[in-house]
Amino acid sequence: MGTFLANLILAGVRMASPLIFLSLAELYSQRAGLVNIGIEGIAAIGSLTGFLVSLITGSPLLGVLAGAAAGILVNMIFAYATVTLCAEQIVYGMAINIFAPALAAFIYRVYFGSGSELVQAGLMGTFKNMLGIKSNHFLVNLFLDQTPMVYLAFILVIVTAVYFTRTKSGLNYKAVGEYPKAAATLGINVIGIKYLSCVICGALAGIGGAYLTTCYSRTYVDGNIAGRGFIALAAVIFGRWNPGGVLIACLFFGFCDALQIRLQLINNTLPYQFFQMIPYVATIVVLAIIGAKKAGPKSSGQPYRKEER
Amino acid sequence: MKRKDFGALIIVPVLSIIISFLIGCIIIAALGASPAEALRYLWKGAFGNIRNLGTTFSRSTPLIFTTLCACFAYRCGVFNLGGEGQFLIGSILACYIATKSPLTGVPAMLLCALAGAAGGGLWAAAAGLLKIWRGQNEMIITIMLNYVATLLMGVVYTNWLRDGSVPQTIAVPDETKLPSFLGLRATIAFPVAILVGIAVFYFLFSTSGGFQLRAVGLNMTAAKVNGFNVKRYIMMSFIVSGAIAGLGGALELLGTQLRLINGFGAGYGFDGVAMALIASLHPIAGIVVAIFFAALRVGSTTMQTATGVPTSVSDIIQALVIVFTVAGMAMVKLPEFKNRFLRKAGMEG
Repeated sequence: MGTFLANLILAGVRMASPLIFLSLAELYSQRAGLVNIGIEGIAAIGSLTGFLVSLITGSPLLGVLAGAAAGILVNMIFAYATVTLCAEQIVYGMAINIFAPALAAFIYRVYFGSGSELVQAGLMGTFKNMLGIKSNHFLVNLFLDQTPMVYLAFILVIVTAVYFTRTKSGLNYKAVGEYPKAAATLGINVIGIKYLSCVICGALAGIGGAYLTTCYSRTYVDGNIAGRGFIALAAVIFGRWNPGGVLIACLFFGFCDALQIRLQLINNTLPYQFFQMIPYVATIVVLAIIGAKKAGPKSSGQPYRKEER
Repeated sequence: MKRKDFGALIIVPVLSIIISFLIGCIIIAALGASPAEALRYLWKGAFGNIRNLGTTFSRSTPLIFTTLCACFAYRCGVFNLGGEGQFLIGSILACYIATKSPLTGVPAMLLCALAGAAGGGLWAAAAGLLKIWRGQNEMIITIMLNYVATLLMGVVYTNWLRDGSVPQTIAVPDETKLPSFLGLRATIAFPVAILVGIAVFYFLFSTSGGFQLRAVGLNMTAAKVNGFNVKRYIMMSFIVSGAIAGLGGALELLGTQLRLINGFGAGYGFDGVAMALIASLHPIAGIVVAIFFAALRVGSTTMQTATGVPTSVSDIIQALVIVFTVAGMAMVKLPEFKNRFLRKAGMEG
């Protein structure tokens, strides 16, 4: 196998992982009938928290956990506004997208002052480093030169698929997104599940953001999520609201991201920005090709009011 | 619109602003500065003298354009989140015309404005076509186009129009700079922005086209049943909102920034969305909100110099205003809330 292709596949899997976390976050939210376009913002706060905690404690793992906690906290604002106050989900998601990155930028400024010096934190080790393996074989790199977070992402996809199709609890959860009133008559706690979905969504989006500062880049910079939250939205649509489909979509977008980095390295005649456009243009093209077959949860985006008959 | 609802549309944002400022004061106090002092410098920096007032107007101009862009699109139910990309395309075209065409002075300004509006409109039209023909989610498409436009601007200032070794474009020639407005630091782009706002207001609320466009936004099915050409209005709202943002980008380049450089226009699109939502999609209220936000930004620089409170405090206050306003608007619409506060008697649920 050519080195180019091998490196592309390795980088693709790594770049797909944050997208998988973010897409699953969106999937859990939409399956409970909540369209959350604020995950870009939640990921930003998760990314900063992950970076700070990892820097202070020296443990990237604690950073990831803190990122998840911060994501949950911010998403509780979304939960209260959209579930309890029945605010329009799209509008509120937008509000979160403005609020959360501003908060992240503020905390960063206050913590580090206005100095321009880049602070670097440690990255999470890969299995290969932990086990002390020296081999550079492609398969070794593919399966072992990965952080535990990559494994967590893929395991979560399987867990989610089993949960939504094989368990009673998962079917109840999906019922809330499809037809909440019928779900309520069956004794399902609709409001409770919607809040639960926001906890899961916030945690996963926070982890997705923290991945970027604990497993991918040593520093935090404003705007480091770079639209991944929105690409995750596209991945959920592309994946037809199924964990398996979402995984394929994320791998595709991850490879696009890896491809643009690789192409930048081997080409220096075209301005590098044209390669950076690849993931965004690919998202538009994919959405244009798959068209608008409605396959999402039926009550997605609509407020649920107990009192309405 | 009912009078009661209209009251809420004013009271909720004003209350949100007050609460956000209170939280801002707590943060300032926690940072070890005096909130009263900081607020005094904030006010002084934004409105303290004619010079600062001009700066505030100048800073508000691009925000007014992106706010109007969002107002216009959302009134038709189109979630155009691409104000930033459309703004940048407008400024890129204006940059080319101002620096590369033989025209200078007023003809160049007019051509720049025209090309900026056309470019912004076309950039938005791409998203509109995908929505209408492929039924695609315009939010994702317009955001992706923002990133593409930002990168395209990057190509322009690092390659195509690069000014020597510095990653920025060559400057707009002096003859093509927009003239100052009443001798202030703001240029004539500011009154143009306000005129565009008045035009949007007139179109939306005083013409049958505006009525039909709003009808499409309120209830697409009902509008369709009534025989309105829904697709035409959706397409129109994309193109016009994009053109407003593109015009804003062109005028910002000719009036204030004069060069494309890293960070040009960054965040203006989402800012416009926030301001349009705080203003309940009312164009004139949108202008007021945009000036208010610009004042916060300009004033916060003075505050930082005088008291050491970082300018990002004002970003937090702005973000809190949007978080509270949108939640507050939803709360006053809740049946429970209406029952308790507005009509005490009867009516279950």
